[in-house]
Amino acid sequence: MKSLQKHSLLMSIICLGISTVIAVMAGLDFYSFRHYQEIIKPGSGVTETFQLSQFNKNLTGTFGDTTVYVMKGKKEGGSLLVLGGTHPNEPSGHMAAITLIESGQIDAGTVYVIPRTNNSAFTHNDSQEASIHFYHFTTASGVRTFVYGSRATNPLDQWPDPDVYIHKTSGQTLSGSETRNLNRAYPGVADGNLSEEVAYAITTMVQSLNIDMEVDLHEASPEYPTINATVAHERAMMIASQAILELNFEGIEMSLEPSPVKLHGLTHRELGDYTNTLALLMETGNASQGRLRGRSSEALVLTGKDKFYTWAAKLGFVYIPYDDSGVSIETRVGRHLQGIIEFTKAFTDQEGKAITISGIPTYEDLQSSDLGKWLN
Amino acid sequence: MITLIYRAIALLIFVFTGIELFKTDKLMDKINACMVMVPLALRILMIK
Repeated sequence: MKSLQKHSLLMSIICLGISTVIAVMAGLDFYSFRHYQEIIKPGSGVTETFQLSQFNKNLTGTFGDTTVYVMKGKKEGGSLLVLGGTHPNEPSGHMAAITLIESGQIDAGTVYVIPRTNNSAFTHNDSQEASIHFYHFTTASGVRTFVYGSRATNPLDQWPDPDVYIHKTSGQTLSGSETRNLNRAYPGVADGNLSEEVAYAITTMVQSLNIDMEVDLHEASPEYPTINATVAHERAMMIASQAILELNFEGIEMSLEPSPVKLHGLTHRELGDYTNTLALLMETGNASQGRLRGRSSEALVLTGKDKFYTWAAKLGFVYIPYDDSGVSIETRVGRHLQGIIEFTKAFTDQEGKAITISGIPTYEDLQSSDLGKWLN
Repeated sequence: MITLIYRAIALLIFVFTGIELFKTDKLMDKINACMVMVPLALRILMIK
């Protein structure tokens, strides 16, 4: 002990040195993830891009600003907004939006796509989830890297969380952490917190551009009841019904859920109430965000295979068909893209304005090929 | 404004923890102080 006291200063310096090394290593990891530039390679179907901050100047220069890809068809028609990455820990929504941007062609109408809807949430992971940072696809141009982020806005961009989150326009109360959930922030507030400002920009964009239909792409844990489902605002029910019948005829199991009237802040409720758009939201099954999963890994994100979910399925604890083969990202992206195809067909039939998308892989295409084949 | 106050508080705790690191003779307390200083440093710099 005397020896330690004698060398106390030296020990302090050694300890400080070790903690500095740890802080630098951790800091570099966090910093590089926050600033990672995910590359999206738009196909010839993209006619222009603009920044979402065009619809809320408060987003300019913040991590909330994001790119909107515009795909304008040769013929006039209806308009569609596709939101991917509202929750960046639900990768099939993000990848479906990117696949649309990179391989889609619009023959009639206009399609707006936001692949990183909550851009700030792509800059960090949920704590204590052991989430991966990146996942990869092999494409014709090489191996490409995509970000697996968090469900919520980065607390570096929006903090502190209140004890209770009060939704501004309805007075609804939710858990404090939901204040950073973009899909509880609609219709948004022009000068609110970052999530509210992003939600406001999207609502204003839908109003200003008079967008006819909106589809928000999500995933859910296999044990969550609203899964392999479409949630529709009451004005979008007829279109959703027709599309879901078609999907079921094609062998894609999909249920239809009415948007709860008293559950506020979600796209399918607030964009339907505050704009003229027909608001829809789709859910697939993602084992990598589930509570029952085993080890978090890139393989789990891409294949959806998890032995604990297989066990849970045998015990009847999950709401999707699930076995040893998992639910691959191709299946999940295929469900989203086929859903978009059927929604646009139903819209064209019922509204008399065409939205025609070609070039994107169908559900069937993605049962026999890797997603990377459809990326640039 | 609230972020500046938060960072100032974090910096204050960081400094006090650093002083404790050099004042204490107990090795475990030194290690504890160093472990506390890592997340504080990342918060002060707004990296995490």
